Amino acid sequence: MASEPSPTPEGYSVTPTEPLVHGSAAHTPVRPPLPVKMVIAGGFGVGKTTTVGAISEIEPLTTEAAITEVAAGVDDLTHTPRKTTTTVAMDFGCITIDPTLKLYLFGTPGQDRFGFMWDDIVEGAVGGLVIVDTRRLDDCYAAVDYFEHKGIPFAVAINAFDGAVEHTLDEVRWALDVTDGVPLVVFDARERGSVRDALLVVLELALARTEG
Amino acid sequence: MADGSPPPGPDPVGPAPAVRPFLVTSGRVANTASGRTMPVETQVVATVAGLDALDGLSFERHDIVAACRLPQSLAELAARLRLHLNVVHVLAEDLRSAGQLTVYVPDFDSTHDASVLRRVIDGLRAIPDSRGVLRDTD
Repeated sequence: MASEPSPTPEGYSVTPTEPLVHGSAAHTPVRPPLPVKMVIAGGFGVGKTTTVGAISEIEPLTTEAAITEVAAGVDDLTHTPRKTTTTVAMDFGCITIDPTLKLYLFGTPGQDRFGFMWDDIVEGAVGGLVIVDTRRLDDCYAAVDYFEHKGIPFAVAINAFDGAVEHTLDEVRWALDVTDGVPLVVFDARERGSVRDALLVVLELALARTEG
Repeated sequence: MADGSPPPGPDPVGPAPAVRPFLVTSGRVANTASGRTMPVETQVVATVAGLDALDGLSFERHDIVAACRLPQSLAELAARLRLHLNVVHVLAEDLRSAGQLTVYVPDFDSTHDASVLRRVIDGLRAIPDSRGVLRDTD
């Protein structure tokens, strides 16, 4: 897999401080892959980590990150959003496409009455998958709104727990108030092939938007 | 962590670090020098100078440079070393300034390029349905 080492890998805006070749033969030439990021969003307990784990080549890792949180404002007399920084746990995994390209899947933290500003995590993502449990549709509104607002290509994926979906796709589309341009799929977060196909729907959408 | 008494109650993210996270960054919280923020998938790799200096580095800095013999994302680095992501940001920036780490901030025009997206799509399509299927891992 060793390719010709290059001091300036494609796709990076920062020139390395030195060529990516380790002098001693003991080390293989290391050239980082171009990282492509997708975001897995949805409410708490909806299956984000399961989804990542079903297809990631590594066990999902957890890291803590500080993100900006906007208080809901219910007890804020000034109507000015109060911003605070909160530490959240975030699960992620990856898939090596080839030695020069790696897909990262980041599960964004769930939220309840707070709106998280996910920009720190989401910026640069090629697309998002919003996972929905039809028994708790409310939990995914924030994620749908976020992707719509940011103009990030996304699909809604209904996690069919035990094969059961309590509402028809039309009902879900109506309830979420998403346009026909947003793909709606039913999938099983535990099945690798099912997760793969859901991710492909998002990537095809992102590709179509790039070409259109 | 074995010497401390366990904290009371359930802990959703594992034991608390022995040192307050931002003590190791002297209180700095993020991205002070370079202007542009580093996204979580930013790749970091140790330089020859960094590996040569490894014995002289202490604690987290040592661990980061050692882990970066192979390219890592900032997120992987934070998770594997059990460091707060924002702490890794700060230390990576320090180590980059010292010439011990190379930091590759991805260019979003490249990651959103149609040819790149097509390669990701083709790569994903090649993944079989079930985990039981043998795959080439090396």
